[in-house]
Amino acid sequence: MNKTRGQRIALNTTGVVVAVLFAFPTYWMLTSAFKPSSDLLTPDYDLIPLSFTLDNFASAWAKPGFLTHLSNSLIVTVGAVLCSLVAGVLAAFPLARLRFRGRKGFLLLVLIAQMAPMEALFIPMFLLMQDAGLLNKLPSLLLVYFAITLPFTVWTLRGFVQGIPFELEEAAMVDGCSRFGAFRRVVLPLLGPGLVATSVFAFITAWNEFLYALVFMRDKDKQTLPVWLSTFKTVFGTDWGGIMAASVMYALPALVFFLLVQRKLVSGATAGALKG
Amino acid sequence: MATLHKTIHTKVPAGATPPAPARASRKRRVGLGEKSIPYLLLAPAVIVMLVLLGWPALQVIGISFRKLDLGELVRGEVVWVGLDNYTAVLADPEFWTITMRTVLFTAAVVAGTVLAGLMVALLMRHLSGAVRVAVQVTLVLAWATPILATTTVFQWIFDQQYGILNKTLVKLGFDSFAGFSWFSSGASTMTVIGLLIVWQAVPFVCFTIYAGLLAAPKELYEAASMDGASSWQSFTTVSWPAIRPLVTLATFLSVIWDFKVFAQVWAIRQGGPDGESTTMPVLLYLRGIAGRHFGVASAVAVLMILVLLVLTARYLQLLLRSREADVS
Repeated sequence: MNKTRGQRIALNTTGVVVAVLFAFPTYWMLTSAFKPSSDLLTPDYDLIPLSFTLDNFASAWAKPGFLTHLSNSLIVTVGAVLCSLVAGVLAAFPLARLRFRGRKGFLLLVLIAQMAPMEALFIPMFLLMQDAGLLNKLPSLLLVYFAITLPFTVWTLRGFVQGIPFELEEAAMVDGCSRFGAFRRVVLPLLGPGLVATSVFAFITAWNEFLYALVFMRDKDKQTLPVWLSTFKTVFGTDWGGIMAASVMYALPALVFFLLVQRKLVSGATAGALKG
Repeated sequence: MATLHKTIHTKVPAGATPPAPARASRKRRVGLGEKSIPYLLLAPAVIVMLVLLGWPALQVIGISFRKLDLGELVRGEVVWVGLDNYTAVLADPEFWTITMRTVLFTAAVVAGTVLAGLMVALLMRHLSGAVRVAVQVTLVLAWATPILATTTVFQWIFDQQYGILNKTLVKLGFDSFAGFSWFSSGASTMTVIGLLIVWQAVPFVCFTIYAGLLAAPKELYEAASMDGASSWQSFTTVSWPAIRPLVTLATFLSVIWDFKVFAQVWAIRQGGPDGESTTMPVLLYLRGIAGRHFGVASAVAVLMILVLLVLTARYLQLLLRSREADVS
C-alpha cells in the first residue's frame, strides 16, 4: 500500500467530497431550521447561515396538531416496541433453550414472515381493521407495527439468548433456582444490551412507517408525524423554515437512538450473507 | 441438551425442601407443563404472525378473485368473478407502462446504490484517519435520518424558486436553471426520487461491504503487492472474493426494498405529474384505497408480489436453503 503523496491527496480529497455530499442534506435541514424566514425566501446565495433564530421551532411546535401527531407517533411506536419485546422474549427463550416438536417449523414461519411484502398487504389489512372497527384508531397501527417488527425481534433475541452460556443457568439451577427463576435472574439481566439493540431497530422501523399510517388514519387528528410531514405544503405553505424545524424534531429521536446502536446494525445485517 | 436439562431438573426439588404433599402436586403440574410450556410461550408470537401476516396474505389472493367495490363491501356480499380482475388489469396498457417503469426504476436505483456503496467502501480503506471518520459519520447521519424528514429536505433543496440547487446552478453559469421546476416532468421527478432513495440506501450497502473488506486478511494484500499486482489485480484477486457474497446480499435486499418503495414516491408528487411517476405500489394505493376497488387492487398486489418473486427468485432460493441450515 505504498502510495505516492499525490495519490493520497487525490483519494482524501475524494473522501472529503463524499462526506460533503452525504452531510449536505442534513446540514441544510439544520441550518434552514435555524434561519429566520426572511433569509430563506430570498434570491441571495446563502450556503453559510449568517443569523440564527428559534422562531421556526416555535412556529412548528405551535402548528395545530403538531403535538397530537407527535404523541400519536410515540404511542403507536413505543406500544408496538413494547409488545414486540414481550412476545419476542417469550418466544426467544424456548427457541434458544428448549427442544420441542414444531420448533423448526416455527423458525421457518419467522423467516418467511420477515420477508413478507407488507406493502402488498395493506388492502386485506385495511378490510380486516374495518371489520374489527379499528380504522382511524391508534390500536390498528400499533398492531400492524407489532406484526412488522415481531419477526426480526424474535430472530435477533433468539441469537442473543443463544449467546449467553447455558452453564450460567445451570449454575443458578444447581443453587436452587427454578428453570424460569434462572432465566429471570440470570439470562434476562444479561440480555440487556440485546434488548436495547433490538428495541432500537423496532423503534426506527415503526417511527419511519408511512404507508399503513396513511391508509388507516383518515382523520387528521389521528395521523402520525411522517404522514403529517408529507402534507406540509397545506400546513406550512412556503414556510420552509417551519418545515425544516418540524423535520428536525421528527428526526431527532431516531438519530439519537440510531447512534446508540450503530455498530451492531452492520454485524446484524451481514449475519445473513451467503458464503460463495 | 435435552438429557442434561432433565437430570438437572430432578435435582431442583431435591435441593429445595418443600413439604412432601405440596411437592407431589407441584411435580405433576410441572410434568404436565413441561410439554406445553414452549407452545404457551410461543403462542403470542404465533397468533400475531398468523392473524396479521398470514391471514392478510391469504386474503389478498382470495379478494383478487372477487368483485369487491364499496357497494359489495357495504352490503357484505361475496361476488366471485374468477380471473376478471386479472384480465382487466393486464389488458390496461397503463399497467404495463407502470410495471416497466417500476422495474427500470428499481434497476437504476439498485445499480446506483450498489455501485456507489462499493466505490465508497473501497475508497474508505485508503483514507487517512480523520477523513475516514468524517465519511463514516456523515454516512451514519444519512442512514439514521427518517425517510420523511429526508424527503422534505430534498424537496426544499430542489425547490423551484428558492432551492439551493437551482441557485447553485445559476451561480455556476447555467442560467436556464433559474426557476427550473424539477417536478414538472415525470423523468426529472423520478430522477429526484431516485437520488433521494440512493442517498438513503448507500450507507447500509457501504458499511456492509466495508465490513467484508476489513475481514479480508491484510497479509493477502501484502502478498499481492509484493508479487507486483496492480491495484486492479489486488481488487479482483483479494477484495472481490471477500466481498462478493456481501455485494450479492446487498443487491438482493436493495431490489426488495427499492421495488416496494412507496413513502418517497407518494410524498414527493403522489405519482404525478399526470401519473408519470406512478410506480406499482402507488398504483396499488390509488386503485385500492383512493378508488375503493379492492378486488382489482388485490390483483395488482398479487401481480406485484409475482414480479418481485421473479426478480429475486434465484437468491431467495439460496437464502432459504442456507437459512434452513441455521434453523436446525
